[in-house]
Amino acid sequence: MPQTIDWLAISPPLILAVAAVVVLLADAFLGGGLDGLDHRRRTAFMPAALTILAVIVASVPALAMWDQRRSTFCVEPPPDRTELFNFPRPGPPPEWCSFAVDDLTLAFWGIVLFGTGVVALLGTVMVRERRTPLGEWHFLMLCSATGALTIAAARDLITLVVALEVVSLPAFAMAGLRRGSRRASEAAVKFFLVSVISTAVMLMGISLIYGASGSIFLNGTTIAGGELRSVIVVGALLTTVGLAFKVAAVPFHMWVPDTYVGAPIAVAAYLSVVSKAAGFAGLLLVLGVGLAPYADVWAPAVAVMAALTMTVGNVLALRQRHAVRLLAWSSVAQAGYILVPFAAGADRPALAATIGYLAIYAFVNLGAFAVAALVGQRHPEQRLSDYRGLVRESPVAGWALAFALLALAGLPPAVVGLMAKVVVFDAAAGPATWLAVVMAVNVVIGLVYYALWLRELFLPARATDAPPHDVPAGVGLAIGLTFAAGVVFSVLPGWLLDPVLASLG
Amino acid sequence: MTWQGVALNGLVALPAVFVALTVLASRRRTDRLAVGIGVLGSLLTLAWSGWAVAVASGLDDSPVDHPWVTALDVRWHLALDGISGPLVLMSTLVFVCCLLALVRHAPAGGGRANLAALLLLIEAGVLGSFLAMDMVLFFVFFEVALIPMWFVIQQWGDPGDEVARRRAATRFLLFTVLGSALMLVGFLLVRAEAGTFDIVRLAASYQPSGPVAISAAVLIAVGLAVKTPLWPLHIWLPDAHAKAPTVGSVVLAAVLLKLGTYGFLRFWMPVTDPGWPLLAPLLAGLAVVGIVYAALACLAQTELKRLIAYSSVGHMGFVILAAATFTVGGVQAAVFASVAHGLITGLLFFLAGAIKDRYGTGDLARLRVLYGRVPRIAGIFAFAAMASLGLPGLAGFWGEMLAIRAAVYPAAGLPTATYVVLGVIAAFGVILTSAYFLALLRRMMQGAPDAVQPVNRDIASIELASAEVDPGEPEVGAVRRDVEAMEWVAWSPLLVLTLLFGVAPGLLLGPVAAASQAFFGGL
Repeated sequence: MPQTIDWLAISPPLILAVAAVVVLLADAFLGGGLDGLDHRRRTAFMPAALTILAVIVASVPALAMWDQRRSTFCVEPPPDRTELFNFPRPGPPPEWCSFAVDDLTLAFWGIVLFGTGVVALLGTVMVRERRTPLGEWHFLMLCSATGALTIAAARDLITLVVALEVVSLPAFAMAGLRRGSRRASEAAVKFFLVSVISTAVMLMGISLIYGASGSIFLNGTTIAGGELRSVIVVGALLTTVGLAFKVAAVPFHMWVPDTYVGAPIAVAAYLSVVSKAAGFAGLLLVLGVGLAPYADVWAPAVAVMAALTMTVGNVLALRQRHAVRLLAWSSVAQAGYILVPFAAGADRPALAATIGYLAIYAFVNLGAFAVAALVGQRHPEQRLSDYRGLVRESPVAGWALAFALLALAGLPPAVVGLMAKVVVFDAAAGPATWLAVVMAVNVVIGLVYYALWLRELFLPARATDAPPHDVPAGVGLAIGLTFAAGVVFSVLPGWLLDPVLASLG
Repeated sequence: MTWQGVALNGLVALPAVFVALTVLASRRRTDRLAVGIGVLGSLLTLAWSGWAVAVASGLDDSPVDHPWVTALDVRWHLALDGISGPLVLMSTLVFVCCLLALVRHAPAGGGRANLAALLLLIEAGVLGSFLAMDMVLFFVFFEVALIPMWFVIQQWGDPGDEVARRRAATRFLLFTVLGSALMLVGFLLVRAEAGTFDIVRLAASYQPSGPVAISAAVLIAVGLAVKTPLWPLHIWLPDAHAKAPTVGSVVLAAVLLKLGTYGFLRFWMPVTDPGWPLLAPLLAGLAVVGIVYAALACLAQTELKRLIAYSSVGHMGFVILAAATFTVGGVQAAVFASVAHGLITGLLFFLAGAIKDRYGTGDLARLRVLYGRVPRIAGIFAFAAMASLGLPGLAGFWGEMLAIRAAVYPAAGLPTATYVVLGVIAAFGVILTSAYFLALLRRMMQGAPDAVQPVNRDIASIELASAEVDPGEPEVGAVRRDVEAMEWVAWSPLLVLTLLFGVAPGLLLGPVAAASQAFFGGL
């Protein structure tokens, strides 16, 4: 059967993939390699500039596709299966497609592209370190981002797993690429082992689902019933476990703190936003679309996991005095909040809350990491007390971090963070009120450590003869971008939330 | 936009604009100018609130009702009626007094301009809460005041004990956030039941019934009970009020507690069915326990500000008791008692701060003979204490009298016998209140002049001069003696209004009755 390919639909991941190769080649021919790295030379910043350019170019077709429903790589469902269709959406699609772009996909693409761009800006702090080969690093990141874009558009289980691996494999290398850093290598190995195991578990689950339903397409897996139901249930749970590793849900979170602390901050930021978004996209597609009829099985399981994740993340974050480790645990806790809407089952408006929270979490968390990258230049130990007096010393960075922390805690004047919490509470209140109450308690626990950090920012600085913070242009831009987004969406949260929450409609 | 729309939006925006101006002025110019701008901002807000109350036409057809977050059905809906109007005016007045108090007197902790800016930010949040008619919008504004208040307590609080003031600040923050998060869950459950966050439409048409509605009402009640506070959720309050700087204590007691009581009237009563067998009587019961408990706790206090803080728990108990009767009389009593408590307890905290400034201690065992040493301060304190214990003819009387009266005649469907018993116990609480205030006045104001001398505040130690020292003239310029001009300016509005509402309660009760009939319809 001849395939027609919708090139517009696949253009954003394609652009990133091509850009990855371009970055690698350009760095090989024009850049000076690691020894030639010199922040005074313009070529040192070339990989970052090319990456950002690619992100901008890729976002153009993405924007053009808003409110269209496109799909490609389709096959006719076998005739004996069509009458068995019980896909919950009215008007089932006539074909089984591997790749589809709808508003859900685009919402994730927005998060991934924004995240990749900001992380590329953060990567500029590594120029001066002269320990990371930046051409390779950006190549790896673009590859990984290609996978992240693909996963949000994947509509069959094979594409989904392959895309998920495309996200993860370059990420291991990114974590371990820093030369002469044992902690980075250790972080990469730990991350690699955990990830491989999770992939294996997930593949097992997927094979069970395929075996029972006879289809790898998400809109075809819903048909099995009768005695095969239990097989699908086991498959669903195993797949959930595999994806839980990716989003770092408890009890599959052990790799997070060490990896975040060991890897360069830009990588930690990438893992906490882009890679995590990819994991949630997979979870949303597999559970919310593919396994929607089995919500009675997975919803309680995910609800318990959400409660555990936020509680463990918050309680362990309480004891941290290392800024990045604190952010790591806080991102575990935040993953717990993002999981909460799944407790409401396959209810589409409720699941949209996941994307809403993720969208807000993305730029808020990137803002926090951006300031951490800035302070980390002067204080590589990243103690919380190193942030003392930051608001006086460099007001924009200080206020940006204060805003990000308040938004993560969910308090005004960072209304955008508050709205994120409202969205998630709204999804849980009713179907899983107990979880909403657990989350309310967790918000309070989380507040303790965010407030602790916040207080440091406003204390008078200790008298030191340390040089003033040197703000690289890239990091400054990243801080400005995330801060501006936070302020704008705090005044008009509807601009962000209205389209995002409607994207699953 | 109509004038009414300008008035409502401006009332929230004006203090926020002056926050920015104050901060800018403190960067560019002196502290003094910045505080001056802060005072100007609070005065303008007071005038603006008077105008807004004058032009506001009640809850129906408010011109400020736009979609804010369409996906969540949250609306930017502001309105002003006879229930919120008095509270708005009281709050703006108290903020003027607080900022005026900053003009001459900088609390330890530095950066007076920042303190002024934080107070204005709190004011913006408070006014927004009183005006918001959308439950989520109310929640947003409700939270605005938290972080600034946390800074106020931990930065400018009790200079003698850094650990304690930080603990007090954090405890305040955590309790309030827990309460408000539970309240939010309750609001969302109400939306799931009724399909709207708009409290005006809810009050008109919502018939709460079923387990979801009950759990929503319980969650909202718990959340507001933390803020109000209701026994046994009051444990954050004594520390926070006692460790905050004077202006912080005033704002906490006079204004922020009112967010809780106002929340009960505006957002809890419409989503609760008085016919449910347990909820309203339980709340009333806890309120009465709080009244008696607070009075007994006050008898045992050894520190002036803690004593006043505990007295607030008792006064708020009367407000909740009144609200839990579900009658127009109850709403009248609740609003009146809230306003009266704001004026009187605000004044009491100002006085307690003035005494602490002059004597370096709030320890009741060491404060003696204030009638002899600072007769004017002592006289005003006695006046405020009398008002607080409910002396007829002053504002404190009417709120508590009407609350007890409302408890004797609760709404149909409520267990009358239980409420009558609760009313009687509450009346007994009034007697206990008189007991501790009179005991306080006797211990602190009267006696033989031997124990306490004014000390120089600039000396780091707060050790008091011993009795051998000649009690004659203080060092020139070292200690401020009796009431200063600026203090007269800051305190006199509170004094005058306490007296005015005491002799003419109808000024307040009339509009409240009309508004509560319009809002609740069937009461």
